[in-house]
Amino acid sequence: MKKLVLILTFTLGFNAFASIDKASEIYKKPQSLKRDRELSIELFKSKYFFSALAFAKNYIAGVKELDPEFEAVIAKLMIKTGTMSFSYMDRKILKRHLKSPTLALAYGIRMSQLKKWNESNKALSNVPADHRFGPEARMLQGAALNMLMKDNEAVEMYKQCIKVSKKIEDDAAKEKLGRYYAIIKESCFIHLGRIEYRNGNYEEAKLLYRSIPKTSYRFPYILMEKAWNAYQREDYNRSLGVLVTYKNPLMSSYFFPESEVLRALSYFKLCLWEDSMVTIENYYKRYKTKSDALKSILMKHKRSHTYFLKLIFAPIEETEKLHPYVRNMMTQIRKKIKFSIDLVSYKKAQNELKFIKKLPTSKLKYLMEGELKETLKWRTTHLNHYIKKQMFDFVNQIHRFSYEMFNIKLEILARKRDLVWENKQLISSRSRGSHENLKRESDEHFYDFRGEFWADELGDYSFGLKSNCEKVRVGVAK
Amino acid sequence: MKKLLTLTILLVLSNPLVAQDKKSSKATGKQKVIYKYRKYEKFDLGNLEIKGSIVAPGDLSVKERSRRTFSRDLYDRDNFNKEVIEDIRNLR
Repeated sequence: MKKLVLILTFTLGFNAFASIDKASEIYKKPQSLKRDRELSIELFKSKYFFSALAFAKNYIAGVKELDPEFEAVIAKLMIKTGTMSFSYMDRKILKRHLKSPTLALAYGIRMSQLKKWNESNKALSNVPADHRFGPEARMLQGAALNMLMKDNEAVEMYKQCIKVSKKIEDDAAKEKLGRYYAIIKESCFIHLGRIEYRNGNYEEAKLLYRSIPKTSYRFPYILMEKAWNAYQREDYNRSLGVLVTYKNPLMSSYFFPESEVLRALSYFKLCLWEDSMVTIENYYKRYKTKSDALKSILMKHKRSHTYFLKLIFAPIEETEKLHPYVRNMMTQIRKKIKFSIDLVSYKKAQNELKFIKKLPTSKLKYLMEGELKETLKWRTTHLNHYIKKQMFDFVNQIHRFSYEMFNIKLEILARKRDLVWENKQLISSRSRGSHENLKRESDEHFYDFRGEFWADELGDYSFGLKSNCEKVRVGVAK
Repeated sequence: MKKLLTLTILLVLSNPLVAQDKKSSKATGKQKVIYKYRKYEKFDLGNLEIKGSIVAPGDLSVKERSRRTFSRDLYDRDNFNKEVIEDIRNLR
């Protein structure tokens, strides 16, 4: 049995990277665009994807227009090595090749990163809907138009995105691929919901958010938006109920400081000031330690180009030792689609370098090795920066929301003072729940919360607190 | 016509006379005008009388009015644009 496994491993390893004899022969020819094209195609066929990239880029930079065969090669190269392989190319070169759907997507991504929405939208319109990058292109276009406040056009793009990604999802032979397009489809639903929310159509937004299944990767992230939506509908009990979902053990690695602010605000709107104050105090206690733990790491290693990436690869026990929160943060970052795709590409590049080192000595081998080392260096810095930025963003968020919490606290104190001036008090010192205070539609679930979380109930909780906003003369309160 | 002629002659003759008068006063030297003010003035308020009718109530009273309250701009969410941008940055 062991022998069989060894043979299989050897055979698979051998097949993973073929020889570069043919590529070496081509490399001996005098340097020309035609040679670069042939080399990139040959290396691609031998599965040296990252090495093929260098020659492909040379060819793209020199040629006026790409032929369909080469277009198919670069589309696959983009899938294998990630969008950043092309999106960081010289913008002038990319702009020249907008007829190529692959390079149009790369340029569209770059422009949207630079918030040049018009240019991004224009470039992405070159990607046909039925192209394999169609769903991404439509989603990006929707976002660009959304930012440009062209809601009708954005809605149309998102609808197309849902349609094409659903088709690819249904036809996908591999589960992972299907899941990827399911996420894009759900993201487009969420973006539609966000447009409705921005326009104050909270009922429509509610329906769109509800179309995201609880098993979805996106589900934990949209709970906050669902809670805000309930808050805007003045259904504070529902808002509090949705937010309580974050306390379930399945979501222990998720941190949303904003959810605490919304919780405090919801209590505040129900005039349950003491509950609001408790939420605020808990926020300071809970997030101060997290902020301190993160800050100490950030300050020590902020100039390092590798530390944070090493942290991602480190065993759980090691990150746990730094702070349990750091471990959870690493889990969260690993879950990001972009990051996980880039990380897979990074590992592939490392693997490719190992195989190149084993190749017989040749000029091409040295060139490929040198190129790939540079690529790996750049990708290490890029991924390291991504993790560092996520951490910095989080610390900044904690500080920002501390300020908002302080504001709520001040407002509560001011309201209390006003009551004293008026010689009044709130009707009840602490109003508690009742089923009578629930707002529920026929298709909305209702579960009693008895200190346990059930997966099928998540996100459907609602509190039943009575508003305490009625003022009475001092001494009349219950 | 005669009257008009007489009036014109009189006016023409009167101007040199006035000029001559100013010149003569300059020639005699400047007269010092001294203005004197009172150092202080005393008002006997008790003695002052104000004419009119009294409209205010006789006893001391405060009119009740509601206190002006200022509310802070609490945190609110108008849109999720930040999340949209985050989504597309994390796309592929």
